[in-house]
Amino acid sequence: MKRRNFIKSTAAAAVGSQVLGGVPVKAFSPFELSEQIQGEDDKILIVIQLFGGNDGLNMIVPVDDPEYYKARPTIAVPKDKAVKVLGNVYMHPALDPANIYNLKRMFEDGRLAVIQGIGYENPNLSHFRSTDIWLSGFNSIDPDKRLIDGWLGRYWADQIQGFPETLPDHPTAVQLGGTLSMLLQSPQGDIGIALTDPQKFFELGQGLSPDLDRMSEDTRYGKEFNFVRLVAEQSDKYSTVVKSSYDNGKNSVTYPKNGFIQQMQLIAKLISGGLKTKVFLVRMGGFDTHVQQQNDDLTGLHPYLMNTLSSGIGLFMQDALAQGFADRVVGMTVSEFGRRPAENGSRGTDHGAASMQFVWGNKVRSGVYGNNPDFTNLDNGDFRWQYDYRRIYADVMETWFGGTPDDTERILEERVLPLGVLQRTTSVQDAYDGKTRIEIKAFPNPFTSTATLEWNQEVPASVKIELYSTTGKLVETVYIGSVSPGRVTIPVTASASGSYICNVIVNGVSNTVPISVLH
Amino acid sequence: MQRRDLFKRLSLLNERTTSPPSLQLVEAGVEEHTDPLTLSDVLHLLRRMGFGATMPQAKLLVGKRAAEVVDALLGADEEPDLPSPGAWTDTATENPLGADLQTRGQIYNTWDQNWKKLGNWWLLEMANDTKAVEKLTLFWSGHWTSEYSFDETFSVPQTLYRQYKTIRKNRLTGFQKMALEMTVDNAMVNYLGGTYNEVGKPNENYARELMELFTLGIGFYTEGDVKEAARVLTGWKSSKYSDEPAPNGIYGTWFNAARHDIGAKQFMGQTISARTNDNNTEFQVKNEEIGRLIDIIFTVRADNVSRFISEKVYRYFVYSAKGEADPVIIEGLAKPFRDGGFEMRILFKKLFTSKHFFDPALRGAQIKTPVEFVVGLLRQLGVTNADPQSWTGKMDQFMLDPPNVAGWPGYRTWISTNTYPQRRQFALEVIKAMSDARANSFIKEFDDYSDVKKFIANVCNYLFPVEVTQERLDFYKNSLLGGAPDYDWPVILNTPSSSAAKFRNMLNTMAKAPDFQLC
Repeated sequence: MKRRNFIKSTAAAAVGSQVLGGVPVKAFSPFELSEQIQGEDDKILIVIQLFGGNDGLNMIVPVDDPEYYKARPTIAVPKDKAVKVLGNVYMHPALDPANIYNLKRMFEDGRLAVIQGIGYENPNLSHFRSTDIWLSGFNSIDPDKRLIDGWLGRYWADQIQGFPETLPDHPTAVQLGGTLSMLLQSPQGDIGIALTDPQKFFELGQGLSPDLDRMSEDTRYGKEFNFVRLVAEQSDKYSTVVKSSYDNGKNSVTYPKNGFIQQMQLIAKLISGGLKTKVFLVRMGGFDTHVQQQNDDLTGLHPYLMNTLSSGIGLFMQDALAQGFADRVVGMTVSEFGRRPAENGSRGTDHGAASMQFVWGNKVRSGVYGNNPDFTNLDNGDFRWQYDYRRIYADVMETWFGGTPDDTERILEERVLPLGVLQRTTSVQDAYDGKTRIEIKAFPNPFTSTATLEWNQEVPASVKIELYSTTGKLVETVYIGSVSPGRVTIPVTASASGSYICNVIVNGVSNTVPISVLH
Repeated sequence: MQRRDLFKRLSLLNERTTSPPSLQLVEAGVEEHTDPLTLSDVLHLLRRMGFGATMPQAKLLVGKRAAEVVDALLGADEEPDLPSPGAWTDTATENPLGADLQTRGQIYNTWDQNWKKLGNWWLLEMANDTKAVEKLTLFWSGHWTSEYSFDETFSVPQTLYRQYKTIRKNRLTGFQKMALEMTVDNAMVNYLGGTYNEVGKPNENYARELMELFTLGIGFYTEGDVKEAARVLTGWKSSKYSDEPAPNGIYGTWFNAARHDIGAKQFMGQTISARTNDNNTEFQVKNEEIGRLIDIIFTVRADNVSRFISEKVYRYFVYSAKGEADPVIIEGLAKPFRDGGFEMRILFKKLFTSKHFFDPALRGAQIKTPVEFVVGLLRQLGVTNADPQSWTGKMDQFMLDPPNVAGWPGYRTWISTNTYPQRRQFALEVIKAMSDARANSFIKEFDDYSDVKKFIANVCNYLFPVEVTQERLDFYKNSLLGGAPDYDWPVILNTPSSSAAKFRNMLNTMAKAPDFQLC
């Protein structure tokens, strides 16, 4: 059956009878079934890049760690000035701007995840190399490895049919301002557009499609010719659709005049107006706070940036909730590194390593991931990483955009376990294809020689079972095969003792269960 | 081993980073190109080394040898200063910090105007430059970067003008001398935190970039080297404002001995000796510590410095695609550069007179930078523009204000849906601004201009980097004559207003071709 037909024939049934295509709805539990029939088509990711290396340590403040105050005699946030959020989570007051929906309130409302200790092996302290590592999704220890395109560029170039010979009707990615980031580049060409002002873009972009056809790419000249040609064509084609989305869209909250905040406003307006863009990229600079990052009264450069970030995301969220598209959007911050735990002599901080990032949205599994930064176990004066940064990317590709672990492996050239910070929304099509999350039991746990994995399987499925280290690195593949509907039991063994995350991939969907082996 | 074999062998090393095997091979190495230059050779050389030749200039150079032409374009070591951009360059600047809001606004406003004046002045000097003096200076100013506007602050335009002059004066000298001059350059000391770098309060900003971005590249220094280099560089102050001490005169850099760390430093396995307070003087520290620091970099890492700079020059002037610089070619440039005491004249001459540089496989494969596009078009069409810096700015290249310390990333980042429509707009404006008289004198600069077929082929050879197809020639003929027979063209030429209008129309069509952006 064609997808469209399937949707037509089951849409009515989905509402009334609790049965979809013969599969009882309870089979989907505990995972939420999308209310929208075409749910898988309208997911949006907003990437906020904090260029310069954001000082995450002064955002989520470890107020109960005396080492923090020792390391930062002049720029620490005193406990009585920090904002208590939930439990023992304290934020810099600049993240809680008054009278405005903001990151602190989003955390309280279950719309914000704080991922501690995001980083990677062999941290690089260069802005540029580390930015390339973050945006490309490749952490190569080979300094000569050319990082030339982005993980989202590669993912979408792979997903868009016929790209780049035929362009989709709407730009797949939109970057607000500036030159197009590596993040949105692919070997086949840019998957998106850079946009500053929709009106201006409309005026200047029309009629720019070249008179000339694509050239053969067996010369360097031909390759660059085609690159320019594609941008010219995108300028023409997308200037119209961006303008009409802009004109049709609206904002339901008032955004103050500020570069970043107004870019968030523009994104909300474009989404509201029907632009079917999958990825938005917004960039903020100024995070390279070597000098005078904060005054004694907790104002100054870095607090200003925090305030702006928190306000921009908060207002956008409020707007999205009011306009009803909040369930379709998740956002994440990226920054090339954190700052060094110890401040320098200029009331600033030098380049550091692992740091904290935010993931936000209605479909985020809210909370704090990982432990507070550990001052007693530093690596050359810097924090050690707890989570590989690409585990969020894997989550985005697999859980949010509906890719498979094989997609992730192809895009990142490595097996990477999703972090699990995003909620999977199961569309009708996914249900039909048996692509739903499953609750897996493992027993005994811990085990000595063999553990049994057990679950209830609704449709025939291909199964692959992998063991990952607790940091998310693939250790071994223990099973590949297929199973029939019914109660499934598969025994697994591990080569060495230790704690693992067991990833059971059923019909391309990851389901994780922690296991321990004591040989 | 044949170059072709070596190239193949290198390709196998890393599939991802080299061109597909079908890509046209570059046969030629760095041996001297001794054939007399053809017209297309001359145009290629001047597009890359300068901002394009005018037709009369090009004709004079045809038949000469590359070595002779390159010597003339490089010019004397110290070219005479250009006429000053204005009396403002020598006026003192009031300190905006602490001034009342209105005064502060006025001060910033004056800076802004002066910075724009400086940009316009330089761009028009570039358009008038018959040598490669300004192009090489522009290249270096994107290497030894200083931003006009960064974080929440600015570089005073007067200091940027002085930095420009220092770079211009040193564009062909020993790279080691340039490194020393730039390390104590006023704008640089201000830009990369040098003024904050004091004994006991080291600031690593400049120390890191000196190695990472300016001389060595990532991977050839340790974090320990960064820390020790920062100590070497303590104590330098930039005077910017009328209320600051200026022992070395207005906008001079000076040395505050009390802020210098006089202890011994261990750098790249070498010792920079401790000093006593008696010999802690500006002259001694500059030569015995900074000079020695740079000397160690250039001695211990001579291979890396020479290759890093050669590759940077190669990417800027020959081919920018990442992962494409052939290590054999780079070493072919780096060796004479290194053996010649890092004289930049040697490097530039080697490159621009090499067979490799003139190889057809590399023609037309560079994307024009905004400055190349704007200045080149003004120069080629023989027209002027009142505010060229606003145009390069709209194309993402604000003069003396790169996006960050790494300079402009270049290559494909120049062309986006933001900037491409601006390029189109600028071309339209400039073509429109060409008077009838200038259009007709321009037409007559081409050989056989009254034979419409030869005329159009000659215009294409002048404006496009690679010979175009017959189909395109016919297409352009149609846009010139609108379907009229070929023999009408000489008749049209008798009516200058008509020939000018038709010529401008054809230029508009040509400017829409993707390879109008290439050189």
